[in-house]
Amino acid sequence: MFLKIENLKMQFGGLIAVNDVSINVEKGEIHGLIGPNGSGKTTIFNVLSGYYKPSGGKIVFDGKTISNLPAYQITAAGFARTFQNLRLFSSMTVLDNVLVGMGHHAKTGLWKTILNPVAVQREENIFIEKAMNFLNLLEVADFANELATSLPYGSQRRVEIARALATDPQIILLDEPAAGLNEIETEKLREILMKIQNTGVTILLVEHDMKLVMGICDVITVLDYGKKIAEGTGAAISNDPVVIEAYLGQEDL
Amino acid sequence: MRKKTIIIRALLFGGAALILLFFPYIAQNRYQVHIINMAGIYIILSLGLNLAMGYAGQFNLAMGALWGVGAYTAGLLNTRLGLPFWINLPAAMIVAGLIGAIVGLPSLKVRSHYLAIVTIGLGEVINIILINEEKLTGGALGVSRIKMPNFFGFPINTDERFYYIILVVVILGFLVTRQILKHHIGRSFRAIRDDYQAAKAMGVNTAYYQILAFIISAAYAGAAGALFAHLNTYISPDIFEFKSTLFVMTMTMVGGMGSLAGSVVGGLTLPILQEYLRVIKDWQLVVYGISIMIVVLFVPGGVIELTRRMRNSRKIHWPWSPKPEEEKLEETNVSEN
Repeated sequence: MFLKIENLKMQFGGLIAVNDVSINVEKGEIHGLIGPNGSGKTTIFNVLSGYYKPSGGKIVFDGKTISNLPAYQITAAGFARTFQNLRLFSSMTVLDNVLVGMGHHAKTGLWKTILNPVAVQREENIFIEKAMNFLNLLEVADFANELATSLPYGSQRRVEIARALATDPQIILLDEPAAGLNEIETEKLREILMKIQNTGVTILLVEHDMKLVMGICDVITVLDYGKKIAEGTGAAISNDPVVIEAYLGQEDL
Repeated sequence: MRKKTIIIRALLFGGAALILLFFPYIAQNRYQVHIINMAGIYIILSLGLNLAMGYAGQFNLAMGALWGVGAYTAGLLNTRLGLPFWINLPAAMIVAGLIGAIVGLPSLKVRSHYLAIVTIGLGEVINIILINEEKLTGGALGVSRIKMPNFFGFPINTDERFYYIILVVVILGFLVTRQILKHHIGRSFRAIRDDYQAAKAMGVNTAYYQILAFIISAAYAGAAGALFAHLNTYISPDIFEFKSTLFVMTMTMVGGMGSLAGSVVGGLTLPILQEYLRVIKDWQLVVYGISIMIVVLFVPGGVIELTRRMRNSRKIHWPWSPKPEEEKLEETNVSEN
């Protein structure tokens, strides 16, 4: 098992945001995580990326328990994420944003940076080349030297994905990547997600755009009020009465 | 870039280099050299503060007190143990750096304004220790008769001679700061300043880099302290009170927070301005306060942003600024806010 979320529980005071949720994610799949607003999807992401320590249960990744590691070590272990509301580094260019994601691969520490500028520049050049590859993959390479926050919304979303990929993840957590995108941009996003899957990166996707989710996810987990209510392929989920009830309410009232 | 602009830039750079190199011979009197020496010390302090505050977003407002730690380390090593400046300089940097790491610890729990308040408090603690540990520090009387350095038998015993030590340290400090900030360490700093949570998710070890920013800025303060102690041969705790931090902060903000050139501009301007403002005594503080307010309200990027704006406005066309078609490319890189 690649990523195993076991009986995860997340409690904020009296509010139980995630209640006893277990999810298995297989290597290489696109795993959808859906549910009405407030069902605990983003909370699960925040626990996975180390922002919250779970109140109960654990997360096992590649045989190692990662739920008590600090955020930056979870990233080093192979997790990357994007944010629901864009969080690009506002003072930096697109390229610099992506390069930040590569910083933890840097072999040159403080002393080497000061005393051996040539070695640092060599390392930097390799980073820049790799970063440009990611920008090309996400089709935002033209903006490389522009201020990240000056880009159109859809492009900023793609820069965020490029930045996440730059950390060299095994699994990438995408929090509503299609939010605010028009249909053409969403279609482009779909192609990009397939490309990412083809590079061998597993994707865990939170998304409200059902067409996108049904179209590309291998497995979908449905949450409601912090509980897992269903899991299966897109076809199975969309016919599940429990799921329909959660989204649309009870049938005859 | 046009050939003409390259030549003009080379001439300007060469002229500036010549002035810097022969300044003690150009200056009209020893006092002018002394002011420029002090300006050099302030530039080092401002570079340190700029790295921590302007780049990494870490409010190190114990800068003046850490300057004092450096000065006392050098002064005491010299008067008590007879150690020379060349050993005291790195020693002051190490001691100040270690204390800086402690001052930086609260940054792991509190940020921005709250961190500013905590570091002001820790700076005051350092100052109180300097005043009250009389056996070690000489109390309010300070440390006197610190010896000026000796360079392989050549006594560096005047402001004119000391100028060259300061010049070398300032240039080294500037280049080292630029080198640190240019690559991944600098990017991690800026990532933490821009968005702390996103930086974590990008694998930035935020705690490490926050403390590192404090250590580097404190080490700069330590170097400035050792220079100050050996230049003036006398130090006392009142010099390193919070007002010195305010002075360094003013020059950094007026020059340009987040720009190393800003530190140089501010570090040169304010100590000179201070001399002209001596006649108005305490009203100086009003001038500093108003200048900070003007900067914050109208030009948050300081003098450096002002020159960039002037260049972009095209009304004033400096001979060394790029031609309009090149300008367009540069404009896209300039932040709107």
